Amino acid sequence: MSVDLKSKVQDLVDTSINPAIAAHGGWVELLDVKDSVVYLQMGGGCQGCGAADITLKAGIERLIKEELPEITEVLDTTDHAAGDNPYYTAGKS
Amino acid sequence: MERALLLLPTTTYRTQAFLDAAGALGVEIVCASERPNVFEERAPDRLLTLDFDDPDAAAEGVRRFAETSPIDAVVGVDDRTTVVAAAIAERLGLPANPVAAAAAARNKLEMRRRLAAAGVPVPRFEPVSLDDDLAPIARAATYPCVLKPLALSASRGVIRADTPAEFVAAVERIARILAGAGDTSRTLLAEEFVPGAEVALEGLLVGGALQTLALFDKPDPLDGPFFEETIYVTPSRLPAVVQAELATVTARAAAALGLREGPVHAELRVGPRGPRVIEVAARSIGGLCSRALRFGTGMTLEELILRHALGRKIESYERERRPAGVMMLPIPRAGRLRAVTGIEAARAVPGIEEIVITTHRGQELVPLPEGWQYLGFVFARADTPEAVEQALRAAHARLDVEIV
Repeated sequence: MSVDLKSKVQDLVDTSINPAIAAHGGWVELLDVKDSVVYLQMGGGCQGCGAADITLKAGIERLIKEELPEITEVLDTTDHAAGDNPYYTAGKS
Repeated sequence: MERALLLLPTTTYRTQAFLDAAGALGVEIVCASERPNVFEERAPDRLLTLDFDDPDAAAEGVRRFAETSPIDAVVGVDDRTTVVAAAIAERLGLPANPVAAAAAARNKLEMRRRLAAAGVPVPRFEPVSLDDDLAPIARAATYPCVLKPLALSASRGVIRADTPAEFVAAVERIARILAGAGDTSRTLLAEEFVPGAEVALEGLLVGGALQTLALFDKPDPLDGPFFEETIYVTPSRLPAVVQAELATVTARAAAALGLREGPVHAELRVGPRGPRVIEVAARSIGGLCSRALRFGTGMTLEELILRHALGRKIESYERERRPAGVMMLPIPRAGRLRAVTGIEAARAVPGIEEIVITTHRGQELVPLPEGWQYLGFVFARADTPEAVEQALRAAHARLDVEIV
């Protein structure tokens, strides 16, 4: 993994991703970039949030891939069950 | 690349399963929710906000959206989105259920009326107006009966009454539940209580023909006063002739409602006078329960639904042969969740595959009939349906839920 690529992803997390999700009390921590795959962990309002998967796939992954086309996938390693203040809570359908 | 529009309420359990399915099929997704996503401005071709309670406006919004960002399929992932999904598909000219059929399947009274008119066996039923004097209605009712709201799902607000006094109390309680849920309906359904086993049939309608995907037994008796669903096990242990009858009745029910395309989740009672349709919903199974199902060479239910919506070929509707089941963990009492312990011990029960706690620490827990959430889900696979059921019960017994 190139340190340069990881720092580019970190820059996106700091300047574009976290400011956006802060509106819902959430944040993202970059854990690693390995073999073109980004590993993230979500916290705050995103941890356990019913919309976290949408935010990750249609928002965060999209944004990272757009800015850094060499990235192929963004994976969420969050233990969502451990979240204690999710922005949206899943309920029965 | 094909593009599918997923209608994903912010509180649905179904998001991850459908996004994973889209990923596995290589389908680009457009996610629509009822509230704006924080990235909507950055990804306007992938994220949409739609009013799920205004199908016409939502359909027009998607029509305009699709002029520049074409959509190949529309999938509503749960009960709340079935009608709006039908409206959007109709506006885009995609194959789907007629809007009137989807709407009828969401309204228990309209559903009963259509099914009864078509000769499909349903419990005897009567509408009850919240504006009428309840005492004479209660005196005239036949007991035991079940009172239920017309639109809420997952057994919320469903109450058995054995006497006129219980009838009146149940109606008043349901009225409070409706008010709390923001449901302005002034009509309830009173129906005959049908004793006997209850089953759930998971199916897929393709051009009006029903493919039965799975028939689940519900081994915990659902006799009331509330109707909390817990264990689902498939394949069913009912005699083959009864299973065939249940599939036939479900197909007739879907046809009577006018449903033609996509998933159906039907609940039926096997009563003393044969099967009775309790409901047919134009959606797939709720919660995380679909994780108990695999098809063909490992396809998930959501992959199957997406494939059908996209018009792709489906090689096999066969469920895997191994018996499987899920337990929806009941909320034992009201309060705030402090902790769920014993999870590792429960996971160690032979046959247990996965335990997912979906409530979070500190979350307010509301049991039925007022509540609408599950504590979590336990999944099992084993050599027999009996062993699946035993594994689920043993795992549940090892969980300790601390509520304050």
